This record gives sequence, C-alpha cells and structure tokens, in this order.
Amino acid sequence: MSFYRFKRVLLSIPLFLAASFFTFILIHLSPMDPVEVVLHAQGVPKITAELIAQTKAELGMDRPFFVRYVSWFVSCLQLDFGNSYVTGKPVWSLLGPALLNTLKLTLVSLVAIIALSIGLGVASAWREGRFVDRSVRSASFVLTSMPTYWLGALMIWFFSVKLDLLPTSGMDSFNSYLLPVVLITVNYAGIYFRIVRSSVLSNMNEDYVLYCRACGLPEKTVMMHVIRNSLQVAVSVFCMAVPIILGSTVVVENLFAWPGLGTLSVNSILARDFPIIQAYVLVLAAAFVLFNTVSDILNAALDPKLRNDL
Amino acid sequence: MSRKTVIFIALLIIACLSLAGCSGGKAGSADGADLGQELTYATAKDINDMNPHLYTGSMPAQGMVYESLVENTKEGIKPLLAESWDISEDGKVYRFYLRKGVTFHDGEPFNAEAVKRNIEAVLQNREKHAWIKLSTMITSCNAIDEHTVELVLSEPYYPTLLELSMTRPFVFLSPKDFVGGETKNGVNGHHGTGPYVLTEHKAEQYAVFEANESYWNGAPRVKKITAKVLPAGETTYLALLKGEVNFVFTDDRGADSIDVEAMDSLASSGDFQFVRSEPMNTKMIVANSSKADSPVKETAVREALWYAVDRDTISERIFNGTETAADTLFASNVNYANVELQRRDFDLDMAESILERSGWLSGSDDEVRVKDGIPLSMSLYYDVNSSSQKSQAEFIQSTAKQIGMQLELVGEESSSIANRRSTGDYDLLFNQTWGLAYDPQSTIAAFTSEASYLHTTSGIAKAEELYEKIGQVTVSTEEAARKSLYADILTIVHDGAVFIPITNGSVTVVAPKNLQGITFKQTQFELPFENMYFE
Repeated sequence: MSFYRFKRVLLSIPLFLAASFFTFILIHLSPMDPVEVVLHAQGVPKITAELIAQTKAELGMDRPFFVRYVSWFVSCLQLDFGNSYVTGKPVWSLLGPALLNTLKLTLVSLVAIIALSIGLGVASAWREGRFVDRSVRSASFVLTSMPTYWLGALMIWFFSVKLDLLPTSGMDSFNSYLLPVVLITVNYAGIYFRIVRSSVLSNMNEDYVLYCRACGLPEKTVMMHVIRNSLQVAVSVFCMAVPIILGSTVVVENLFAWPGLGTLSVNSILARDFPIIQAYVLVLAAAFVLFNTVSDILNAALDPKLRNDL
Repeated sequence: MSRKTVIFIALLIIACLSLAGCSGGKAGSADGADLGQELTYATAKDINDMNPHLYTGSMPAQGMVYESLVENTKEGIKPLLAESWDISEDGKVYRFYLRKGVTFHDGEPFNAEAVKRNIEAVLQNREKHAWIKLSTMITSCNAIDEHTVELVLSEPYYPTLLELSMTRPFVFLSPKDFVGGETKNGVNGHHGTGPYVLTEHKAEQYAVFEANESYWNGAPRVKKITAKVLPAGETTYLALLKGEVNFVFTDDRGADSIDVEAMDSLASSGDFQFVRSEPMNTKMIVANSSKADSPVKETAVREALWYAVDRDTISERIFNGTETAADTLFASNVNYANVELQRRDFDLDMAESILERSGWLSGSDDEVRVKDGIPLSMSLYYDVNSSSQKSQAEFIQSTAKQIGMQLELVGEESSSIANRRSTGDYDLLFNQTWGLAYDPQSTIAAFTSEASYLHTTSGIAKAEELYEKIGQVTVSTEEAARKSLYADILTIVHDGAVFIPITNGSVTVVAPKNLQGITFKQTQFELPFENMYFE
C-alpha cells in the first residue's frame, strides 16, 4: 500500500507541472501586449510607448520566456505569486483570505451535502418506487433544474426580506452562512444522492445480500452491510466535490456578496489582473490534483484490487 | 462504512466547525435597524487602493477623503484648499494662497511644504499621469512661505485650474503616509483633509467613513457612511427593500447598480426618492474614418448611419427615459459646447438618399447596398458586460438594415475594445465622452492621441486643420479666441460625422425620503456627501 501511495503521489507531479505551465502562458493568450494588459488593469488612462518600456523593465517582462516561467514557478512554490496589477498588493494577501472564506463555505456545505446525499440516497433506495423515493427524486429534479441565480434570489426574497430571518448578503455572522450553504447543498446533494441511491440499489442485488438474508440476519444488519459497501463509490465523489465546489462558487458568492475565491476570480478576470488569475488557476489545479490523489489512495485503501491498476 | 471513511468524514466535520467558528465580527451597519441617520451605500466593487495618486481606487470614496486646491462648480472654479490665487501675465506661473488651520486626518498640518511634496510625488510618476496634460507641463513647485505655493509651467495652459480640481491625481495626502518620500509604490495610510475619514476597510466587504469633526468647513451632518460591496444588482435591490442599504448611486463606469424596473418598484414603495443630475456625458458610436478598406471611411456612410439611429426610441425603450437623446458630441451644458451645429434627427429617407447620392446602390428591399463591388457592411463592437450596449447595438442593427446597411455585432471586454480603439482595428465601436469637468478639453485632446481617437479623426477631410486648432486651444489665453477655436473644432468633427451621439447619461441617486441636500458635482465620479443631512 505504501508503494502504491508513493507511486500515486509521484504521478501527480508532472500533472501539476503541466497545469502550472498552461497557467503561466495565460497572459500571452490575450490578443494584447502583456504590458498593455498590465497598464489597462492599473486603470492608466493613457498608455504611451515610454510607459510601456518602463513597465516592461519594472516587471521583468523583457527577460526570456522560460527564465520568467522558472522564476515565477519557483516563487509560486513559496506562495509568492507576485503583486496584483490592480491593487499592487501581494497576490497571496488577497488570495489567502479569499481562499479561506471559500473553504469555510465549501466545508460547511460539504458536511451538509454528505449528510443529505447519504441520508436521501439510502432512504430513496430503501423505499425504491414508493412515495419517499418518488418525492425525493421529484424535489431534487425541480430544485437542481432551477437556475442557481434565480433560486438564490428567491431564497433571499423569502427568508431575508419577507420573513426577516436572515441577512441578504455578506459574511458577518453564522446566520449569513445559511442561505449560501443551502443553495450549494441543494445543487450538489440533488445530484450526489442519485449516485448513492444507485450504488445502494446495485448492492442490494448482489449475492452477498441474498446470502445474508438466507442466513437469517436481521434486515437492519443487512442494510448496514449494503450501505458500507455502497459508500465506497461515494468516497471519490465526495473527495472531488471539494475542488469542484471551490471552483464553482462564482454565482453563489456573487449573489451573496461572499468575499471568496469566486468573487476574487471574476473581479480579476474582468480587470485582467493576471497574477491573481494565474494564482487562482494554480491553486485550483493543485486542489484538483491533491484531491484526486487522495481519492485514489482512499479508494485503494478500501478496495485492495485497485492497487494493481497503477 | 469502513473505519477510514468514518475517520475522513469526522475530520471534515471538525474542520468545518472550527472554520465556521472563525467567522469575524459584525460588518459596519449592515443591519437595517442600525441605519438610523447613517448612509449605507451599495457598491458593485470594493473601494480598492485609496492611494489618491494612482487610479485603482473608487473615485466617490476618494472624493470623501481627499481634497484639491480648487473646486470646479457650475459657476466656475472656486477656492477649496487654496483661498485665492494669482496667475502671472504670461500664464506660466500660478501662485496659490493656502487656507490656514487645515490639518490632515492624522493631525499633520496642511501647508505649502505638504503641497510641494504631494505635487512632486505625482510628478515622480509622470508617465502614468500623461493623460492629464498639466502633469507634463509643471516644471517646478515651490513653497514660498508656510501658506503660499507656486506652480511654474513650461508654457501657458488654460485648463490648469480645471485639472487641479479633479478627483485625482492632484489631491493631497498626509506626507506621513508617504513611503520613502514617494507614493507611486504604495502608501502607509489614507489621510486626506476631506470631510470624511476612512476608519475601517474590510476588502471586498465594506468600508466605513466617519465624519471629520475638525473639518475646516464644518463637520458633515451625516456622521457615518458605509460602502457595502454588493456585486449583484438583484441583491442590491433586495437589500434596499430590507433596509440593509439605503443609498445607491450610479457607479464609476456610468452604469446604474439597479435596473430601471427595480427603481420604479422602489419609488412606488414610498420610502425612497430618486434624484437625477443634469447630463454628465455622451454615449456614442465612434466611427473609424481612417479604415481604408471599410465603407466607414466615407463621410456619407457615417452621416447615413447618424440619420438611422433612432435616439428617442433608445432613450424611451432601452433606458426608460433615464437617459436623454443626444444630438451632438457634447451636451449644451458642457463648457464651450453651446455651438450651432446641423441637426441630424432620425430620418431613414434622408439616410437612404445620402447613400444613393454617394453611389451605394441597392437592388431590392432587405438587400445590402453595394458600391464598386464592396458591400455596405461594417462591424460594431460593444462591451460584452454592458446589457444596455447590447440592446442598443441590436436595435441600431435592425434600423440600419432597413437602409441596406449591414452591421455585424461583436461583443468584447472593455479593455479589448480600448485596444481596438488605440490600434485602429475597428469600423464602429461604442464609447462615451470623459464627462463633465473633463469635457471638452480631455475628450478633444484625445482626438490627437494614438491611444484614443487618432484613428477616428485622422481620416476626416479637415484633419490637419483640426489638429492645428486643438494645439492652439489649450495654450490660448484669450477667452474669445478659445471659444472660437472650440466652435471650429466641434464643427469639423460634427461635419465629419465620426462621433455619432446616442444619449446623454446622468448620475442617479436612490436615497431615503428624508435625506436632504442631495446635489451633484461637476463630475459623474463623485457626490458631495458632506452637504447631505436627514430632516
């Protein structure tokens, strides 16, 4: 198992390097001169040839491409992503708090998603075709097919304006977590519970279930075995949910004025603040590589057969 | 469930609870019940870096904290931090007599030395301020005595006082906030002399401004102003309904934070009032007269398009009457812009006859006109983030089609459009004038600038004459000569039909019903909060 873990971690390195390279060349994909992009981001009203030359030298953009890439990558490994073009502040001082804020939202939501997905998935499979199953599936269909933005605005209108129970936006208190967390949870639990449900259903048709029942085990005990085996599928799904939610909070954060990664990334993209965009993409890529690796290692721990696949 | 899975989930729960427990304190006055006599305004963007000598900060916020030597008002330039001034006969030396007893928010005295250090700090970053011509003309700033300061220019420049009155960069920061005697690489604090003090700033969440009780012009009556970041217009509207914010105004980009329907709905609630300023800018289509391979190079084509723009319908249907139809590049309330120019009202017959006369012929209805085998087809670039520009573009496209003119619509980011404008890679694009206070001199100066409108203007018949007159107008010291030069300049670009006006934009304020003293400055980027009070 430890050899498997070592190999799996080793494999993630080239993946991360490739992601970092594509992140670095982002600024060069713009049709504009990168230096002009910087000056536009700084809100300079008039760009002159002298200013372009001065800025190029200041930012070291006159050095060869690969020298710049290596120096940038080495700095990134030390969490030095350079300075924001717009604010001039170190990128990490902006990205760090935003990442923490989004992590808070993500992790609280993840707990709700896991609890709800497992609970609803098992209940739905347990009562397959009956009222509970049909109601849960219908409700999830309706809620997940509603546009997030619209559903969120509706929730603010009802819970904040009409009932005056919660704040409309911000992250001032525990109350401000409720609406964004519910919105994210509704989105993901509505999808993930189906995975749990189908996994439970397929396990219920396995021979071992028949054997358990034939041995006269109580139905509750049989179900516990089914759930334990079914959740192996869910482990990788829930692991990957962390980076997926981290990277997809734009709408929720925008709507609830949550000062997280989503808000920061959109503002940076609109302002073409490339150091922040690069850092954001790199951090997300790292999160995907990390959680993918963790998910593989966890799955291999649960199912030894998988260790031979690498 | 395996033991490992249980441990994994348990760890997640612990992490969540500990992170959730880390949430900070309460933000400013984000609770409706706390608003009382305070203003909490919604802003789509954070106030950002408040360094007054750079360009990333929120201008309304900077306007509360920092002040300039003089103020631009409807009646002309008036004293602010300078009580009076003299201008030498040759127009090259400006001597300012500073107001006494003024201090920065950190207690530092505002004196000639502070003015000198600030002006020099701005000039140390001269390249970035090249857009403001004064920055290229100041040769020295001398402190004559404690309260007298002198600016020496390389040549006479009539908009000097006007440019000194702008929100940035010639405003004053406490020298204690300088880093190594400079401000171009960041500052230590944000202490101005203005009516409000920045007391708290939580990036991307809110900023709190409290009344400067020792303000030289008397402490403002609204004691606390909070700028709350609300990126979504829907949330802003709901926050207004709930009372979490009670003040909204047009943002830095000239866009309204909430849409017209939302405003109507708030108005009907009876809790809010709406105040709209006089015209502040002109929204327009800029035509590239120097594009050799495009029909847009022909004056007749540009003129025909001008006649094909139904401004009244755009004003009524797209802007619900919140913007007024514009007939010329500058509204008549802009200095020197009250000039008699030929009107080109919406008239499709006239547009067609102009095209026919200049050889753009059409076989039948709905067919694109052709001249010498070239179809009458042009690209119109609009800001992809502006919903109103897209609607206007689609509407203009449909009317242009009726006269056999094909407009291909292309939505792009604003910076990409700015790049097209400076490289000349466009036929038509949406733009707007710099706005009151900056107009006409800044917009007109941009006619000769490659980074702005040089490609727009260089193809018109009298381009050389135009540039010559622009060169003369800024150094002209006689009012009558200046008036005449501006009239000539405006006539040349109007006849060339390169700036096709659409509407005049204004600043809109949504405020509590009992808030009095809502007025506007001679700029769309600031509001005089210090004049407001609750009844």
